[in-house]
Amino acid sequence: MLGKLNWGAIPIDQPIPLIAAGAIGLILAGVLAWITRAGHWPYLWREWITSVDHKRIGVMYVLLGLVMLIRGFVDAIMMRTQQAAAIGGAQGYLPPEHYDQLFSAHGTIMIFFGAMPFIIGLMNFVVPLQLGVRDVAFPTLNSVSFWLTAAGALLVNASLVIGEFARTGWLPYAPLSETGYSPGVGVDYYLWAIQISGVGTLMSGVNLVTTILKLRAPGMSYLRMPMFCWTALGSNMLIVAAFPILTATLAMLTLDRYLGFHFFTNEAGGNPMMFMNLIWAWGHPEVYILVLPAFGIFSETFSTFSSKPLFGYRSMVLATLFIVVVSFTVWLHHFFTMGAGGDVNAAFGIATSVIAVGTGVKVFNWLFTMYGGRVRFATPMLWSIAFMLVFVVGGMTGVLLAVPPADFLLHNSMFLVAHFHNVIVGGVVFGAFAGLTYWFPKAFGFRLDERWGQIAFWLSITGFVIVFGAMYVLGLEGMTRRLQHIDNVEWAPGIYVAGGGMVFMLLGVVAQVTQLVVSIRNRDALRDETGDPWDGRSLEWSTASPPPSFNFAVLPDVHGEEAYWTVKERARKEQSLGDAPQYEAVHMPRNSATGFVTAFFATLTGFALVWHIWWLVAVSLVGAYATFVAFAWRDEGEVEIAADTVAAADRARRTARQAWLDRQEGAA
Amino acid sequence: MSEDARDDAAPGETRESKRTEARGVGGYVVGLALATLLTAASFLLPGSGLVWGPAVPAALVVLAVAQMGVHLVFFLHISTGPDNTNNVIALAFGVLVVLLVVLGSVWIMTHLNHQLMTPGDMARMMR
Repeated sequence: MLGKLNWGAIPIDQPIPLIAAGAIGLILAGVLAWITRAGHWPYLWREWITSVDHKRIGVMYVLLGLVMLIRGFVDAIMMRTQQAAAIGGAQGYLPPEHYDQLFSAHGTIMIFFGAMPFIIGLMNFVVPLQLGVRDVAFPTLNSVSFWLTAAGALLVNASLVIGEFARTGWLPYAPLSETGYSPGVGVDYYLWAIQISGVGTLMSGVNLVTTILKLRAPGMSYLRMPMFCWTALGSNMLIVAAFPILTATLAMLTLDRYLGFHFFTNEAGGNPMMFMNLIWAWGHPEVYILVLPAFGIFSETFSTFSSKPLFGYRSMVLATLFIVVVSFTVWLHHFFTMGAGGDVNAAFGIATSVIAVGTGVKVFNWLFTMYGGRVRFATPMLWSIAFMLVFVVGGMTGVLLAVPPADFLLHNSMFLVAHFHNVIVGGVVFGAFAGLTYWFPKAFGFRLDERWGQIAFWLSITGFVIVFGAMYVLGLEGMTRRLQHIDNVEWAPGIYVAGGGMVFMLLGVVAQVTQLVVSIRNRDALRDETGDPWDGRSLEWSTASPPPSFNFAVLPDVHGEEAYWTVKERARKEQSLGDAPQYEAVHMPRNSATGFVTAFFATLTGFALVWHIWWLVAVSLVGAYATFVAFAWRDEGEVEIAADTVAAADRARRTARQAWLDRQEGAA
Repeated sequence: MSEDARDDAAPGETRESKRTEARGVGGYVVGLALATLLTAASFLLPGSGLVWGPAVPAALVVLAVAQMGVHLVFFLHISTGPDNTNNVIALAFGVLVVLLVVLGSVWIMTHLNHQLMTPGDMARMMR
């Protein structure tokens, strides 16, 4: 009846996951109880859970990313403390099988459920606003994408209490991940969580590519799009091209595990090396999927906070597209040591060094954007400048690792761990935080507290440099990654230093949370009345904060690059906002529970597949299919927003902008 | 701004192109007929003896490529018209990525096979 599931799946003998799960369960129950008591369920259901508004979905994506970043960060704290407590004779507090799950969960969660939702959420929120349109191309599909990602995250976290998680690392290398060596359900949890959220990611990529190619404001030609839209386009093209490789590879591993196939086994003609090859053919484009939008965020912040147009816009576009293509020619550098010949290694090593040229172009463009500008050191700008400093270091260690002979020494060492954290944290996470602070006022109508933002920034960057600086040194001293116990006591100082840096990062996280709480408390003082708190240059700043559900009362007519800057310049010159436009009724897509219901069934399907509960698999697959059919047969797809409502919303915005214009006049 | 700057934009408007071949039901019927013909040919060809034995794989590849062409033109409506630029670029990008991944993998795996024993072989040798 319940397949492999029985009471033995609950790890009663392991106090740590039980206590953690108990605490999370209590917090969750508390939140749910509070929502129920305050009567917020109807509001949440109507305005958020069933919403197909790209802004709401973007916010939910970012929220999921933030929560999962904290979950992954807890794993990181446990890894650092375990290593510090298990040197020489000491054994620490985590047994090897638990430690192995920990580093696997850390990587999986941070990449798939922390960084990806965060970045996709920012793209979801910002891209339609920057393009001057009312929603993404397929709004309901967007909701399905989000909820499927959340379903994957739920499955990974369920593995904490029901069964176990993979012990194979964040990419389940065969043959270790085959049934012979991983008979438990850990790898199955990994496979189904990633497959379900991967479907969501792929659909989100299709959605955003279509939006950028097909839905732009009148006059918004390709070479007038803000840089963030270009990098989002590049990133989503990579999603569409690369995620099918991941899906196919994991599907083959699934066939191996469930139906006794031999794609990646040692026996019967299987070849585990093919798994490494295929998984990295997705894996390397994946890092550019993450970092390209971050590059876009930095392009926006450098230009806005330097009060200058982005330097070398066209070379930026070219560099982005260059990275998109070349990112598919470097994947072998993840397994130089697997045994391919010198010419294969050399070709991929050179391609890896060449891809740094595209990033180098961008770094110089950002520098020249700041040069001669009036630079304002607000929190987003601090993250951006810190990014530039640390990312160059990470990039240089990357080029070092791209040299095959050097890689043979550094492969799987802590040097490698320091390198990829250096670029992913320093690039993607700093970019996400810069974007969060930059666009927060647009999403919620009030700015984030500047003082706490700066405190969080300085604590985080200090901790970051200490932790990963120490790891570089440890790697050069020969320490390998994923050690549950440290035999060599000479590494102790480095491990202690890294643990000390962790304290700063923890304080940084606390400061970030404090910033959020303080800002919500002081929201009236931090209110953004004009919709343009940073003196921005692209179209998202031309509408109110938070934007109305239809984004723009009248679709903007774009003349030239920097669409909104042009409008503001003209308003300043003519001392007038121009005549009020002719308002018309707007048609918006109707809310739909399709995404939520589908994800509910998808979660059940995943869970049932993990535990071999076949009847539940059938039932929930039918349920998910029925949901789609019901959606396809809907009668009313759209709601009309009356012209009066549109006009009223826009009049309030125009009043605020008129006040801004009068202040400008007073200042001049 | 000139017209061509907006040529790629076309937000929300569906311009009817007179140049699209294969439109309407007629196009689909022609496509279906051609696709069936090519499929049938690739099944019948090897047994028919019409083609010199060792050349059969090459002939099948030719038929397969023709099949792809039929699908692209008649079902996916890829044409050379100006409103089709995005589709053609997307197709080119897809083909490029597939070629990079497939040829790259073949190259890497051939090298590995040449340099190393596969784990399966090694297990047999150690027995």
